[in-house]
Amino acid sequence: MARVLTIEDDAVTAREIVTELKRRGNEVDWVDNGATGLRRASGGEYDAITLDRMLPGLDGLAVVKALRDAGVQTPVLMISALSDVDERVRGLRAGGDDYLTKPFAPDEMVARIEVLLRRRGAERATVLRVADLELDLIARSARRGANILELLPIEFRLLEFLVRNSGQVLTRTMIFESVWGYHFDPGTNVIDVHIGRLRKKVDPPGIAPLIRTVRGSGYRLTESGLAETE
Amino acid sequence: MLKLSDHWRSATTRLILIYGAFFVLWGIVLIGVVYWQTGRYLGHVVDEIVEQRARYLEGVERPMLPKAMESTGALDLRGVMSIGLFGADGSYVDGNIERLPDDLPVDGAIHALPNGLERRGRAIREPARGLAQRLDSGEVLVIARDTSVIDQVASIIREALLWGITLTVIPGLIGGLLLSRRPLKRVRAIEAAIEPIARGDLGRRLPVSRRGDEVDMLAAIVNRMLGEIERLLVEVKGVCDSVAHDLRTPLTRLRTQLYRLQQTGGGEEGIEATLEHCIADVDSLLERFRALLRISELEDLGRRSGFANVDLGEILGEVHELYAPLAEDGAIAFRLDAPAGLAVHGDRHLLFEAFTNLVANAIKFTPARGIVGVRVSAEPGGPRVEITDSGPGIPRDEREAVLQRFYRSESGRELPTQGYGLGLSIVAAIVRLHGFRLGIDDNAHGGTRITVDCWADAMTSAR
Repeated sequence: MARVLTIEDDAVTAREIVTELKRRGNEVDWVDNGATGLRRASGGEYDAITLDRMLPGLDGLAVVKALRDAGVQTPVLMISALSDVDERVRGLRAGGDDYLTKPFAPDEMVARIEVLLRRRGAERATVLRVADLELDLIARSARRGANILELLPIEFRLLEFLVRNSGQVLTRTMIFESVWGYHFDPGTNVIDVHIGRLRKKVDPPGIAPLIRTVRGSGYRLTESGLAETE
Repeated sequence: MLKLSDHWRSATTRLILIYGAFFVLWGIVLIGVVYWQTGRYLGHVVDEIVEQRARYLEGVERPMLPKAMESTGALDLRGVMSIGLFGADGSYVDGNIERLPDDLPVDGAIHALPNGLERRGRAIREPARGLAQRLDSGEVLVIARDTSVIDQVASIIREALLWGITLTVIPGLIGGLLLSRRPLKRVRAIEAAIEPIARGDLGRRLPVSRRGDEVDMLAAIVNRMLGEIERLLVEVKGVCDSVAHDLRTPLTRLRTQLYRLQQTGGGEEGIEATLEHCIADVDSLLERFRALLRISELEDLGRRSGFANVDLGEILGEVHELYAPLAEDGAIAFRLDAPAGLAVHGDRHLLFEAFTNLVANAIKFTPARGIVGVRVSAEPGGPRVEITDSGPGIPRDEREAVLQRFYRSESGRELPTQGYGLGLSIVAAIVRLHGFRLGIDDNAHGGTRITVDCWADAMTSAR
């Protein structure tokens, strides 16, 4: 169970965030202003923070900057009504780990928080494993059991992202942002097609599939033995 | 109707009045100077004549004096000279002056005699200039000359002045009023033309005459502005209409599904499926709103801060990588001919978004076994990106309209593949932001050929 701090001045949005995070088994504290939020977050006892960009008094940018200056490395998801790309860059530069624009779908928000929670500590590995799937990040090669997977560079990057966040729901937007590095909605089913091709290589018929579709949300790479909850 | 106050406010009238006043003033000064100079000269002439006669008569022997006086008088045809000889006691001796004037000192110098002299046989006393000289015999000789001639000249000049001013100022004023009528009339005409425009009839324009003067230039400027406003309003109305139209379909479908759910329930399985459809519908609605917001964001925001040198070959390579699987699934040959090294000054993210949109559209509208091509070529002005497909193409008369928000080509509507029609508008906005030029025509395969001329076009960047 993870502890999440929600800094959000709008009560309706806050309730939405808190409800959804609690539903997914997290312990959530809510504060409605930047100053209190900064004080609580400085303790370092939280695993992740959702931070509204625009707060009365001390605003989101100032809070995340103060936290990073104080050496607090808790992952921060910035949430903002400002959708401009420059705004996003500013938020990430100040020390935010991810940026989500309002209005947002609750499942998107939770998916992003869970990715942030997972990210801690997993960064340095050179070989990633999920069940019998193995990714060598140095050699850029992948194996499923005894079979070597012939992957295009883009397919390898996609698989790496799925494996790094195995067990997490990843929305199409998150996949596009992380793997391709662009922040707009590609709109078509282009991500689905890429996943489809990857699936053919990673999950050939006859083997328990690893890549699952989460209806209405996105995808999840998960060990075959785990019970499907969606 | 034109009122007098309108005339007064007219710039022409005021100019003419001010000019008239200056003219009158200047005329008075000029004629005053002429009058003064002439008077001085004539007075001088009179003095000379008087003095000349006096010197002559002074030199005449006393016995000859009456004769000389008579002959001098005979020369004076107009009767303006007065000559008189008076005894030492002031009594009349000879000449045509009745009495020695009291206001004339006997000193041989010329003095003005504003009251004139008492002439023999003449009742009227005319102002004159004259002198009185004591002769050796002790008698006093008086010679004077009327100055009424000078006064006559003065009155002639005064009259000339009056006539001159009258003849200049009155026609000037009338002309001014007439001149100011025309511009005022035209201003009234413009006012009348503007009223319906202000009430919302944007099809109207201000009257422009063939003269091409200042008022016409102004009217032409306003007309151009009205044209632009009309175009924008029509566009906004078109957008509103099509947004309403386009949103009604998924909203109606959503309502139908929710209604069915409420009425029948449909069991666990049915509820699940219906809800999924509902979420998909809402997602597609949100998608449209996002795209609309994106367009207005692009249109009102000069995002030139993020501009840098961008390699087109690299970007198009990424676009190809992203869309190759989709093309392959649709059995479409997706060809890329983009050598590295052709760079433009622009925003990498936005250009990627634009080319992504164009390629996505090309793939969407190309049937199986078709071809989609992406090509960069070096033109004299700069690099040109060309995206061709073997789809149905866009009819010539629809090409301008497809760039407008939410517009979907009629032929596109009939295809089973769905498109929100916003893609090209986003592309157009991005291209406009860069000052590039977007062109739509057809290609050898009969499909669409879209060109993006990646150089700042003077016309586009000026807008």
